[in-house]
Amino acid sequence: MNQITRRGALFAALLAGSALPALAAGQLEIAIDSAPAGLDPHLITAFNSVLIVQANIYQGLTDLDASLSVVPGLASGWTVSDDGLTYRFALREGVTFHDGSSFDAEDVAASIRRVLSAEIASPLASRINLITAVTVIDPLTVELTLSAPFAPLLSSLATIAMVPAEVETNKDALQQAPVGTGPFRFAEWQPNAFIRLERNEGYYAEGQPALDAVRFQFVPEAATRQVGLVSGEYHLLPGVDPATALQLSAQPGVTLHQTRDLSYSLVGMNTTRGPLGDARVRRAVNLLLNRQDIIDGALFGAGVPGGPLSPALTEWATDTGAFDCYAHNVEAAQALLAEAGVTGPIPIVMKVLPRQDTRDIAQVVQQQLAAGGFVVELITPEIGQFVQDWRNSDFDMFVSVNGGAPDPDQYFYRTFYAGGSTNVFQYVNADLNALLDTGRSQTDMAARQATYAEAQAMLACEGPVAHLAYGTLTTATSAAVQGFEIHPMNRLTSLASVTLAE
Amino acid sequence: MSRNFLLIRLADLIVVLFGVSVLVFLMIRFIPGDAVAIMLGANTEITPERIAELESRLGLDLPVLQQYALWLTGVFHGDLGTSIWTGRPVTQEIGASLWPTAQLTLLSVIVGAGLSVPLGAFMAQSRGKGSEVAVRIGAIAGLTIPSFWLGIVSILLVAKYLPGVSMLGYVPFSQDPLGNLQRMILPVFALSLPMLANLSRLVRTAMLDALSQDYIRTARAKGAGRRRIVYHHALRNALIPFVTSVGVSIGYLLGGAIVVEQVFAIPGLGRLILGAIAERNYPLIQASILVVTASFVVINFLVDLLYAWIDPRISRQ
Repeated sequence: MNQITRRGALFAALLAGSALPALAAGQLEIAIDSAPAGLDPHLITAFNSVLIVQANIYQGLTDLDASLSVVPGLASGWTVSDDGLTYRFALREGVTFHDGSSFDAEDVAASIRRVLSAEIASPLASRINLITAVTVIDPLTVELTLSAPFAPLLSSLATIAMVPAEVETNKDALQQAPVGTGPFRFAEWQPNAFIRLERNEGYYAEGQPALDAVRFQFVPEAATRQVGLVSGEYHLLPGVDPATALQLSAQPGVTLHQTRDLSYSLVGMNTTRGPLGDARVRRAVNLLLNRQDIIDGALFGAGVPGGPLSPALTEWATDTGAFDCYAHNVEAAQALLAEAGVTGPIPIVMKVLPRQDTRDIAQVVQQQLAAGGFVVELITPEIGQFVQDWRNSDFDMFVSVNGGAPDPDQYFYRTFYAGGSTNVFQYVNADLNALLDTGRSQTDMAARQATYAEAQAMLACEGPVAHLAYGTLTTATSAAVQGFEIHPMNRLTSLASVTLAE
Repeated sequence: MSRNFLLIRLADLIVVLFGVSVLVFLMIRFIPGDAVAIMLGANTEITPERIAELESRLGLDLPVLQQYALWLTGVFHGDLGTSIWTGRPVTQEIGASLWPTAQLTLLSVIVGAGLSVPLGAFMAQSRGKGSEVAVRIGAIAGLTIPSFWLGIVSILLVAKYLPGVSMLGYVPFSQDPLGNLQRMILPVFALSLPMLANLSRLVRTAMLDALSQDYIRTARAKGAGRRRIVYHHALRNALIPFVTSVGVSIGYLLGGAIVVEQVFAIPGLGRLILGAIAERNYPLIQASILVVTASFVVINFLVDLLYAWIDPRISRQ
């Protein structure tokens, strides 16, 4: 008996022992599903890499606020020439990099040259490749010259991180040890375990950041992240899936922050495959889809039907009520297919992105298309294979999820322009090409909006993509977290003003 | 225990490692989907030039044989390569992940194997009694319940009844010994229970077998106590299959703790390998599988040494 009690006491001591010092004061614990693949802001594409570095470690000349409007970032202001070819930026004063060196126009010029250089091969290059010259006017003024007017430039610059001029030609340095101007500086990376950022004592905004440190822990298991948030081990879970969000909503002390997502689920169609090249057949596909059923059946109701642009882009998106093919109508679809001369069963090979939500969506879509005579075979390859097939246009249709962009040009131009870098549908439409060329050169907002309204009308029913739904983006925080604001691009832009209650 | 014995085992080790390295090298290249495709992702601006550029940067544009030769040369120079994604030496990544897994494995083996001997001996002695049947049913349950389920359920229970207790993740022992051990309790429980169930049944069978032997009757006849008969005479002879089984279990634990590492967010070797495979991080996969293989072989070697110690007849053969 005595022995048992002693053992029990030891066990209790073990359990109680480090319950207290586990969370350092002022250190925000964030649980994410996997380790980032490198931290160089000009090379990374993985979601978790961007989540960690953008806005926290690095900043751009401009920034996008929670309504996705362009606001000043490291540039305090700018002027655009009347012909839309020259942008002059005034830089914020007193900004320093985490290594102590000061941020000036030379760093801006070097950062932009770095993104554009073939040697670095940055995936961001196409966002700013109309820049032909960067001129340093004085240490706090820099001028960008374009080869043609490019309206999305200011929005694009928000995603181009400013790095120290010394790393212009260095491919490796920033992947492991990033140096930026943001509110947090990189402190420690334990592979497979966590990345820790510490407060940037020299941050230019007075009184920010409030936190001493932020730690991104890599926790692959969704159930573990969920329990960890409830038990207080983690403070913040970004990108919570709909099923988990539903469960967390019942937990006392957990706050769910929700916004409309920019990313969307879609059915992509290869316009070189059989009847899918016919616009009437693509319209019929849209008519056969019942988007609300897909949302209820596969997304736990967490989403809204969407057109080519997310409803989160309030300045741009056309309401889906304006698209006649969005009203589920099997007879109309059958009539269209008959008109197009498509008879009998239409065999379709559909590749499915290997994720739970896309698998579920694909099954519902398979059912719905069957009403029109489509015999859909679902293939869910492993992720590497999926990407390869997608890149090589090796599909009749696919179901996938894509991240959105804050400016319509950033999505439409590369995806639907003939020969565009992600036009895997091999879609060619001269009228649309002309519209997209116009759209990127217009600087008048109203005229631009009209152009993209026309492009959306063209794409919604007969384009190579049937846009399905825009999800609900959810971030969960524990009771201790105050001042967090969710961003529709799922970036942790508000960490600088977050505080932790005792 | 001759020198020959050691030399032969060493040669075995080298042959196995070489064979495994060839197999792994070829296999991961035959999995569809390559590192470049995954790195560029489905949603970035992809151009053929970018793909070619990345491939040549990673050395993936060379013929497979040449890639292997280059890699092998590196290994002989003590360079196991660098991680494609993070650019760190793979030895550094593996080194950091090795300790959590080693500790998890060691503690699980101590608990699982350590408790299985008295438990198995108990079952053998009290065969047919009510208490023995209960333990045996428990053992079957332990065998059939998967570790990940045990893990998740135990997390949920602790979260509900002992809120505020840290049980996820990993803290190095040197940094916070109590925190380290505390976080080990649940994963070790989840990992060692199936092992305990398996081994105790094995000990039971081997003991029953040993207890029916003539020398046990002799020992009884000369008046040896029950305890001495069980633990001195019978157990020693029951140990050979036990030690084999423990050795194999350690090998599986080293790589097979993956699921438990996932559930408890422990940054171990299993998770490292899983992640490396998902992102086609070739150098990291190759090196970490080599490490696991080498440990497996070394453990088997130690088991052989133990045989010889338990049963001196073996080394004389």
